[in-house]
Amino acid sequence: MSHDTTLKEDDGAFIAESRTARDKVQRLLRARDSSIALAAIILVLLFSVTSGGQFLHAGIWPSILSSTAELGIVSIGVAVLMIGGDFDLSVGANFSFAALVMASLIAHGVSGLLGLAVALSIGLAIGFLNGMITVYLAIPSFVATLGTWLVWVGVTLVVTGGSTVTVLRQSRVLNALGGSVFGAGIRWEVIWWILLGAVMAVVLHRTAFGNAIFAIGGRSQAAREAGIPVRRVRVLNFMICGLCSAAAGAVQLGHLQSMASSYGDYYQLYSIAAAVVGGTVLTGGRGSVFGTMLGALILSMLDAGLILSGVSTFWYQAVVGIIVILAVAMHTRLGRTARGGD
Amino acid sequence: MEEQRQQRLRAQGITKKFGAVTAIENISVTFYSHEITGIVGDNGAGKSTFVKIICGVEQPSRGELYFEGKPVRFRSARDARRAGIEAVHQDLGLIESMSVARNFFLGMEPRKGLLLDVPRMRSETRRRLYELGLRNLKSVDQDVGRLSGGERQAISIGRAVAFEKKVLILDEPTSALSVRETAKVFDYMRGARQQGLAVLAIMHSMRQILDIADRIIVFWHGGLVADLPNQGLTEHLLAECIHSGVPPSQIHL
Repeated sequence: MSHDTTLKEDDGAFIAESRTARDKVQRLLRARDSSIALAAIILVLLFSVTSGGQFLHAGIWPSILSSTAELGIVSIGVAVLMIGGDFDLSVGANFSFAALVMASLIAHGVSGLLGLAVALSIGLAIGFLNGMITVYLAIPSFVATLGTWLVWVGVTLVVTGGSTVTVLRQSRVLNALGGSVFGAGIRWEVIWWILLGAVMAVVLHRTAFGNAIFAIGGRSQAAREAGIPVRRVRVLNFMICGLCSAAAGAVQLGHLQSMASSYGDYYQLYSIAAAVVGGTVLTGGRGSVFGTMLGALILSMLDAGLILSGVSTFWYQAVVGIIVILAVAMHTRLGRTARGGD
Repeated sequence: MEEQRQQRLRAQGITKKFGAVTAIENISVTFYSHEITGIVGDNGAGKSTFVKIICGVEQPSRGELYFEGKPVRFRSARDARRAGIEAVHQDLGLIESMSVARNFFLGMEPRKGLLLDVPRMRSETRRRLYELGLRNLKSVDQDVGRLSGGERQAISIGRAVAFEKKVLILDEPTSALSVRETAKVFDYMRGARQQGLAVLAIMHSMRQILDIADRIIVFWHGGLVADLPNQGLTEHLLAECIHSGVPPSQIHL
């Protein structure tokens, strides 16, 4: 076609035009991740003041980052699932159950690697089951996983009698999961969390599969019309979430060398909180891995920050609740600004 | 343009019964490339049933469909889509929370290895929409939720053109649009026609039908009562035909 060249020139002009200052500001505002990063920085500054500088002391960060990693690994899976429009309330039960089985196996002399493989398989299987129940019985995932949560908590209690399983022998696999990195304060679980985040960010934002997840969460009918195998993708999301929960249980086992059914309590709620603080929308279709990682970091910083500021830890849950509400209010507002104020 | 005209979709004696009720009876009509056909008729005249059959949502009780000359049987909307029949419903099949480029390529994403070819998605979307006549789009990275109704139509129509669909069915493409936006959507429809698609549009506004269609078919009480080129027709004649079922040539004013 003869007008191809003029087309390209026009095209270039039109791109240049679109990058106005106002557009850039809007773009930045729309990048929820940047506002979450800002919130995290503000929180650090705030706690530095209220703790009389203790919060900036390097000694406390390894422990903040460890709890961030454990919550963060669960949260990444939960965020992927939520972006696709589903919930998983059974992540905490999955976390404990998988890690308890792994702890018992290793304590009884099974190799660490096999123990880990079994734990991750349990996570995948629980996720698969959650997905099949939700998708093929057409039950809202909130209810379906409320049910499986209670089932797994019950099963775990029956099997362990509620006791703690401690691994007394040395295991290289456990060290590699949650031991300290070359004798430094930081533990391996932090590295695993960051690696998982990087991989999942690429999967979610740079693959057709990730595109399908956003589409299903955005409007599953339209996704189906576009030829996306909606049910299959949703089941896979549950499996990713189950895998992440079990992996988080495994790294915590590596860190603590022990596990009990209660260790996974509250993860189902805090992981949703982390995802939401990180900009994941409850109705699906929006969210990011990086934001969710920051969300987990914010929740863990709150825990440590409150203690160092002399506030009773009993306040932690109340503060998390307030932060979640503030975060949702902020994201809603930013979303509106970005869409041109409707 | 005439010599390029090819048969795209032919319906032969299509009848659809729902129990004892006959929704449409013995419909025979052919749709061609490079042509915009307006489909009109009162509510319940049978036009939606007919459209549902050609896009695979319903199966005919009797009659045959021929796609590019070959007999076809669509068991589902997916079958019809795969063959190249794209139906754009009033919700447009778009996802508001996703960017223009991601919507454009939804389910057909270009890849580089395992990863999305995002630069290509963006530049292809921009080029396709530009070619179709959407020239003032700020960015292909903005969410579809921020676009006007006309711009959204451009994406749906542009998608059908880009993925080389053969038949494009539009359901009330200009309802709820301003006059200016309607004119733009007509441009996009002409763009699709120029690319060789057979464009079918269900529309209620006589005036708009007369503005855009090359040809008009009229449904009345489950039958096809008129199939005419858009020449010498008036809103009045067309309205009369829709209400009485008498072809315009036999209407004496």
